[in-house]
Amino acid sequence: MDNLPEEVQELMEALDEAAEDEDEDLVEELAQKLLDTGVDMKPVALEKLALLVMDGEEEMSVGWTRAALKFGLDPFEILLKGLAEGMGLIGKKYENGEAFVPQLLIASTAMYSGMEIIAPFMKQDENSCTKPATVVIGTVEGDVHDIGKSLVKTLLSANGFNCVDLGNDVPSTQFIEAAKENRATAVSMSTLMTTTMAEMPKVVKMLENEGLRDKVMVMVGGAPITTQYAAEIGADVSPHDAASAATWLKGAIFDFPSETERWG
Amino acid sequence: MVTEMTSLERVLAMLNRKPVDRVPVITGSTMVKEYIEKSGGVWPDYHSNAEMMVDVAGLMHTDAGIDNVVMPFGMFIESLALGLEVKMGKIDIQPSVRSFFKKPEEVNYDNFLEDKFVKNTINSIKLAKEKYPDAAVTAFLVAPVTLAGDLMGAENLSVLSIKCLQKEKQMEKMKEWVAVALEINKIYAEACAEAGADLLYYSDASASPNLVMPDFYYEIGVSAEKEIGDFCHKLGCLWQLHICGDTTPIIEGMASTGADCLSVEQAVKMEEVTKIAGDVPVVGNVTPLLMVEGTEEQIITETRMALDGGAKASMLGCGTPPHSTSDRLKTWVKAAADWSVENL
Repeated sequence: MDNLPEEVQELMEALDEAAEDEDEDLVEELAQKLLDTGVDMKPVALEKLALLVMDGEEEMSVGWTRAALKFGLDPFEILLKGLAEGMGLIGKKYENGEAFVPQLLIASTAMYSGMEIIAPFMKQDENSCTKPATVVIGTVEGDVHDIGKSLVKTLLSANGFNCVDLGNDVPSTQFIEAAKENRATAVSMSTLMTTTMAEMPKVVKMLENEGLRDKVMVMVGGAPITTQYAAEIGADVSPHDAASAATWLKGAIFDFPSETERWG
Repeated sequence: MVTEMTSLERVLAMLNRKPVDRVPVITGSTMVKEYIEKSGGVWPDYHSNAEMMVDVAGLMHTDAGIDNVVMPFGMFIESLALGLEVKMGKIDIQPSVRSFFKKPEEVNYDNFLEDKFVKNTINSIKLAKEKYPDAAVTAFLVAPVTLAGDLMGAENLSVLSIKCLQKEKQMEKMKEWVAVALEINKIYAEACAEAGADLLYYSDASASPNLVMPDFYYEIGVSAEKEIGDFCHKLGCLWQLHICGDTTPIIEGMASTGADCLSVEQAVKMEEVTKIAGDVPVVGNVTPLLMVEGTEEQIITETRMALDGGAKASMLGCGTPPHSTSDRLKTWVKAAADWSVENL
């Protein structure tokens, strides 16, 4: 972005400020002025959005999402190459120990705020899009901790998965019902406490008893959960953190039978 | 060679950085199901019945051989007394806070000490002092950052911990929440000290780098903990600071709070953090789950590893899990005693 003409850079700075002030009219006006410069603003807007989400700049992400629409970008492109890309960048930093949970949380808020702007436009294109794989996600019964589970959900969503969030303190039967109802690809369970870990094998056992175990991948995570524990209870994986959960599932899904093969 | 000490003498000596006859074995939260059942405790009565609570906690000392007796059972008393919604859990699940306030002004703590659960803590301390005068009677309390997080909601705390570093207005907001938390901390600490607690164990779980920015901890957390810690010292009480998760990036700050002892999780390397903490005793690091499903060999190995790494007392990395078994707890205490014979 440093190579852009000075005039464009100045307009972009003005747009930053207008977005920060949540001045929608001025954002529109400045976006038009940027278009009038003749510079192809589409790649610039996507890069800018990714960086804003990564930095957790909520208001600016909203403003630049509006601008991106004005530049004629497809809403799905804005989502995948802008907003979700930014979430992926901060997720990667977190995975490498270069970022902390609060940074993931504000990035997540920025991404969702941008998504709200493009949501009405995306609905029109719903039929043209490939149906995303569904992950049923929740914190197990007895545990009210939400943050870790919500971060996994955010990063899965950013990677194109449709997440059915059951919230926290979720009874085991609810995981099973939701998996059936949504023809899920994966069930993701989280717990922060050693006291509630025993809920996880209960859900795995119920999936087996209902003949559903082969239809879904089972992911378990949270502070006390180890890879060894995941193996012992018959889960498929215990990712190290939210970012690696998304990375793992993106890879695992390629070797997994299609939804029709599994659910008929 | 130091002559044989009582549990209380041993714990106080460790906290005062003096020689001990053997390393103390201490614990944080202690709601162990086996001991609840053995002592005839009934859920949820033992949360509000001092006799029942002390009987359960006392078995950790008299049966397992732990050097302190800890009450209450969980980090919910302060929130419950302030009117927040608390789910009482089960016999094997500790209560948890389910709601939060929107603004610091909404928090009313005028009648904090009148709450039946707060009163129960105070009565339990008095009773434990009578029943177990040779043990270190320990009050398990919520430290200021975590209490601020309970008041405003943990996710809000996490987000505000980064925003307050960027914007002055958000910093003011954060300081207001922490100030309210500190006022409540002081009221509760004073009552616990007056009741005769030997040690105030402050868990600042939410000050962890797993939840808030380390820079925030240094800017706000350290001074808040120091303020309540200095207050404890003025009351004549020693205090211990626990923070969850990998605390390596903040251990220097923890050591600067004036805490008499720091407690860390198994996510840290004991040898590394004891070096950073200098002369401040560090404890903890033993995986809590070992008390539920660990083999004798695993328990001995981890206990010794933490002590070899410089821990001044043996302690689990977090609370004692409710499904801990008495035989495993005894194996742990014996492992610390055996290490002491060889190394002290």
